[in-house]
Amino acid sequence: MARRETAETAAFHAGALSILAFMFLPLVVVVATSFSASGNLAFPPEGFSLAWYGEFFDDADWLQAFDNSVVIGIGTTLLSTFLGVTAALGLQGRSGGWGRYLAPVALLPLLIPPVVLGVALLVYFSEIGLRSSYLGIVLAHTLWATPLVFFVMQSVFSRFDWELRDAGMDLGASPLRTFYHITLPGVRNGIVVSALLAFVISLQEFIMALFLSNYATRTIPVLAWGTLRQSLNPVVSVVSTFLILLSVIVIAVAALVMNLEWVAKRLS
Amino acid sequence: MSGIELRNLRKEFGDLVAVDDVSVSVRDGELLCLLGPSGCGKSTTMRMIGGLETPTDGEVHIGDREVTDLPAYRRNTSMVFQSWALFPYKSVRENVAFGLKMQGVDADERAARADEMLERVEMAGYGDHAPMDLSGGQKQRVALARSLVVDPDVLLLDEPLSNLDKRLREQMEIELKQIHEEFEKTFVHVTHDQDEAFTLADRIGIMNAGRLVQVGEPSEVYERPKNEFVEEFLGDTNLVSGTVVRTDGERATADLGFGTPVDLPVGGDLSEGASVTVSLRPEVLTLQRREGADGVETDGTRSESPAPARPDGTGAGVTGTVDSVLYRGSQVRYSVTAGETSIFVERSVTDHGDVATGDDVAVTWATEDLLAFRPGGERLGETT
Amino acid sequence: MSAVDGLAGRVRAAAPFGTDAGVDRSLLLLFPLIAYELLFFVAPFLILLRISLAEPSTAGAYASGTWSIQPYVDVLTSEFFLGVIAYSFKLGVISTVITVALGTFYAYAIWRASGLYKSLLLFSIVLPLLTTLVIKTYAWLPLLAPTGTVNDLLLAANVLSSPVQFAPNTPGVVLGEVYIVLPYAVLAIYSVLSTMDWTVVEAARDLGASRPRSFAEVVLPQAIPGIAVGTVVTFAWSVGAYAAPALLGAGSDRTFAIEVESQMLSNFNWSVGTAFAVIMLVLMFVSSLALFNLLNRWGGEVEYGA
Repeated sequence: MARRETAETAAFHAGALSILAFMFLPLVVVVATSFSASGNLAFPPEGFSLAWYGEFFDDADWLQAFDNSVVIGIGTTLLSTFLGVTAALGLQGRSGGWGRYLAPVALLPLLIPPVVLGVALLVYFSEIGLRSSYLGIVLAHTLWATPLVFFVMQSVFSRFDWELRDAGMDLGASPLRTFYHITLPGVRNGIVVSALLAFVISLQEFIMALFLSNYATRTIPVLAWGTLRQSLNPVVSVVSTFLILLSVIVIAVAALVMNLEWVAKRLS
Repeated sequence: MSGIELRNLRKEFGDLVAVDDVSVSVRDGELLCLLGPSGCGKSTTMRMIGGLETPTDGEVHIGDREVTDLPAYRRNTSMVFQSWALFPYKSVRENVAFGLKMQGVDADERAARADEMLERVEMAGYGDHAPMDLSGGQKQRVALARSLVVDPDVLLLDEPLSNLDKRLREQMEIELKQIHEEFEKTFVHVTHDQDEAFTLADRIGIMNAGRLVQVGEPSEVYERPKNEFVEEFLGDTNLVSGTVVRTDGERATADLGFGTPVDLPVGGDLSEGASVTVSLRPEVLTLQRREGADGVETDGTRSESPAPARPDGTGAGVTGTVDSVLYRGSQVRYSVTAGETSIFVERSVTDHGDVATGDDVAVTWATEDLLAFRPGGERLGETT
Repeated sequence: MSAVDGLAGRVRAAAPFGTDAGVDRSLLLLFPLIAYELLFFVAPFLILLRISLAEPSTAGAYASGTWSIQPYVDVLTSEFFLGVIAYSFKLGVISTVITVALGTFYAYAIWRASGLYKSLLLFSIVLPLLTTLVIKTYAWLPLLAPTGTVNDLLLAANVLSSPVQFAPNTPGVVLGEVYIVLPYAVLAIYSVLSTMDWTVVEAARDLGASRPRSFAEVVLPQAIPGIAVGTVVTFAWSVGAYAAPALLGAGSDRTFAIEVESQMLSNFNWSVGTAFAVIMLVLMFVSSLALFNLLNRWGGEVEYGA
């Protein structure tokens, strides 16, 4: 190959690999520092130990935050999957009408700075008495999780062969039975993936939770943030390692069920 | 000046050998069709000529220059793509002028030359249209104009007609042939369509599994296929396998399961018991209803009746029963079972009428018109 | 998986209202989301607007039942608040320029990659996307601090003679913010690129365009819609940044999000806090819209340019 072409190719790959390294670097730092033997958050870590893992499991605050995160995550998953699936089903096959304005409205919360969302909801929940409650945080996280569920399901429904349903009805199945026996098995994978994504979104969300939680309802990211603002404590890395691991598992499951590229495009 | 020479060209993709030891010379101004089934390596071969793939081994020469390592943008070749690959965000005129823009031609001149070329492909007045708004045939013309305007040494066409419907395709074949004659350039055209290749080509190169099996003028390839693959790929034919039952030193006679042994025009060197595949092309077969055997006097003696012969006495043939009659427009196709073997025979629709399903018929041919192959291999009697 | 089971039950219940069903049935399916968006998205913003128009109060968060534009006047005449706004936009612009440039390149690299390599590149985008802001931010501290890894390496390589404070400082904020928003930009651009026909690029190269030239002539104009979306998302997130400036910034790296948080949660001055949030939201909305139109017009000019 001509020398210039070779140089261009090498530069191109070097660039891509640098960004690849950049994207993984912080995650590597977090996992590495969780095994640190010292109390300093240094990279590469000084020595190896599991001491901070023990610390985590002995700390009532962290365990409480863990419980809070799981409760809020499950609540968000249920609510946002219900809202997203019903809306996607309702808009399936309809292009005109005012229904088309629903999708952009549902998408809007993702573009508004979470601090502003947090403020608006804080003010609102104070008025209606939901401040610092689990429900309040679930309702907030649902603002972010629903558009993802909605767009995943919209594309799942549009890929589904609706003639199958017509065939089912034609063969004498009632609409209910048709949905249960024909439509649902065809879109089940999509529902599982969107539910998993909704759970992870809730688990990782931090700014709205910061505004809307208190000492008793704070989630893991909120407690981690509070801890970090005082000192760089390797226990945070332990918690972070768990969170990263969970995301890796969810991505792996989603990629197995639907394929990674498809999932990636739905996230944008 | 601008012929092409490929020397021992090879391309691997990982473990897959896409192109294997391909050598061929294309004369200046010639139109060579690379013909073969999908995945045979014909497109890859052409992309190596255009510089869009780098050969693993071997050399590409265009004119008197070796270009093996030159990237596409420094070769004076131009490609017409299967999808036409028109730039969607540019107007038709900008599409055609693109190559000139890359050469640094100033804006006024390239617009003028683009319009002139659009006129030559009968697309005058479409300069300001968006490619999206054109029909398939129009896109095809724009793609041709875009490639021709840069005055390439070689024009490469990668199945450019495969996205058109049958009628338009046949029309474009003729136009393409005219453009080739008018511009007097070397064309390499890739296709999987035999008819297209026979219509367009000065010479046809048939590829299979990465190898170039046979190169020759259309008549040569058709009349003297090099091996069984070529014969099978070139068109509808009856390929019947059998065993040699005797040989007289010049010609063999084979049992093809017809009940009657069939004399072959070749095969003197075959031994008894050797396998052989015989091609009975429908156009050399004649079908006749057998008189006195139309069911009235059926007496079970059919298979014992002597093989019918042509009036001039050179022919041979078999007798059998019509299983089905299939109308295919101008031709009618009969499926005939003789002994244990089924073959098909065609007749012009105007000759049809007296033969129906269930009739007893005689199928005859001239022995010299049969082609015989070693099973899966070379044609017998192949000398060159 | 109880979550999924519970969900399946609900969907089953919704089944009779199939897709071809009349308008009424579709409406029934859309109703839950419409009600939710009205109650927990539209209503909170109306309340926010209302409180931003209330008189400040020393006794509580705001003087309930009063009307006043004083909070807006306070914010817009305060040199301090205007400085915060200016800094937020400066951070937004710098982060967006870097992110969109890197994002376009990386999206192109993903588009061109294949097999396992492509999956790895996509994974490198999706994983940070599904990782909490907290992790994405604090992980830079041990790298960028004066005693951190980067300084150690640069000192050892004699590039630096004394440690540089990358963080807490503005460079650290920009780096952290770019890291946070890059996945969104990459995916927005990639999803447009992935619909593109590669042979169009080959055609350009075949007609004499070098690699950079074919990218500029053919890839970029087609990628403009993705780049526009990526730019607006990146810009909105960077202007509204909270975590990166709070953790990786110095005291002077004060964004509007940090200021709003401290007005709301520390100073307990809700009228100023909400007014500031409304002002920023309007400014962001207007500038994002302008940016989006500008980019698409630029795309249009490419389309009809000579």
